[in-house]
Amino acid sequence: MLNYTFHWNQAFKALPQMLDGALVTLQIALLSMVIGLALALTLTAFRLSGNRILSGFATTWVEIARNTPALFQIYMAHFGLGNFGIHLSPYTALLVGIAFNNAGYLAENFRGALKAIPDTQARAGRSLGMTPVQAFRLIVLPQMLRIAFLPVTNQMVWAILMTSLGVTVGMNTDLAGITQELNARSFRTFEFFALAAVIYYIIAKLVTLAARLLAARMFRY
Amino acid sequence: MKFSVLAFSLLATTVLTSQAHADKLDDIISSGTLRCAVVLDFPPMGSRDESNNPIGFDVDYCNDLAKALGVTAEIVETPFPERIPALMSGRVDVGVASTSDTLERAKTVGMTVPYFAFEMAVTANEKSGIKSFEDMKGKVVGATAGTYEAIALEKQVKAWGVGEFRPYQTQADVFLALSQGQLDATVSTSTVAQANVKTGKFPGIAVVGKAPFDIDYVALFTNREEYGLINYLNLFINQQVRTGRYAELYGKWVGGEVPSLSVNGVYR
Repeated sequence: MLNYTFHWNQAFKALPQMLDGALVTLQIALLSMVIGLALALTLTAFRLSGNRILSGFATTWVEIARNTPALFQIYMAHFGLGNFGIHLSPYTALLVGIAFNNAGYLAENFRGALKAIPDTQARAGRSLGMTPVQAFRLIVLPQMLRIAFLPVTNQMVWAILMTSLGVTVGMNTDLAGITQELNARSFRTFEFFALAAVIYYIIAKLVTLAARLLAARMFRY
Repeated sequence: MKFSVLAFSLLATTVLTSQAHADKLDDIISSGTLRCAVVLDFPPMGSRDESNNPIGFDVDYCNDLAKALGVTAEIVETPFPERIPALMSGRVDVGVASTSDTLERAKTVGMTVPYFAFEMAVTANEKSGIKSFEDMKGKVVGATAGTYEAIALEKQVKAWGVGEFRPYQTQADVFLALSQGQLDATVSTSTVAQANVKTGKFPGIAVVGKAPFDIDYVALFTNREEYGLINYLNLFINQQVRTGRYAELYGKWVGGEVPSLSVNGVYR
């Protein structure tokens, strides 16, 4: 049983401050997705290259990114690199950690999408006189991005939620950081955390909705 | 017939009301266990020994309290930000967790009189060239999130208008970041600063001086409405000082001059 009296007016007073934090959260998530997508495409290219060193590098990246906790990855970006004299600010460390994680998951999304496209399509393109690069760029790539679109949206939502791990490396400007600070100051834990949860929920829902609208426009026949 | 109904309802009322009057102090005594929230990442107030047992000033203090109540103590480890959720969700009865008694917090939980007092010290990375509190202006500084000194330091950084403040989740992370040079300096309680520098786990850092913050009085806390328990705790704190146990524990864990727990010129 919760032995606690809620004082929502105290929490609502801090709402503008929390919404500022939500913007920082969204900004980090978006940036980490842009970087993550670029890296994931590179990793996918490495895997397809047939070069053993490049594809080994890509596989190692994906293995570490997918099979270790995001918390560990972010912590390593700050304190791990810090041990070697490389000092990333909390903001950068969080961004690097999430982008690293995103790249690993997105590369797997792309791999799955590639598997769903029959080999025969690229071969048909080749028999029409396209070069291998043309066949990939004009036939395979558009389909791959389309199949991977919804899983990518999923990763975006995941990236938003992962930003909350920034508090472990001293992040205090995002939504989770600001919530923690408000909580420390007043001990009104439940109001602030409930409010933060609602804000995270709304951001995630809006992103999903935007992605659906975008998909409906982009992928019509 | 009418009489028995009346007698029954009278009995029922008595039973129900007497149950409703069983407060937290009663609950602790009848359950035979006192559950204390203690921060075990905050030497010398709370930490763990080689065999992972909780030790420290706060741990001993909780044990003393349990002994006075005639129950067994149970130490529940709570990081700083989780002290209040632990109390509100009923996982602990009392916080013996070096909690600063700010007015803002007292709106949420019930604070006792102070049971310990901290002075604040500046610890700096030797490469930063910081020699005093004023030298911290414009530098990257940090402290443990949710502590009195973190709130005070962040306010100071905002007042200076330059530099950066970073709150870390644990005291160990603060000293790790400081030792790596990610932070130039931190403000912590002088006891914690001395204890951490002494461990040798964090090379390249040194205590460089006092921080001009008010003395940080820390209180035990429990639910705000548990006057019976708060009353008992206040007397317990008084007795700890009166019997010399407070000085004894201070000597055991901290050493040096025992800080006064009373404020001159005002009652509490």
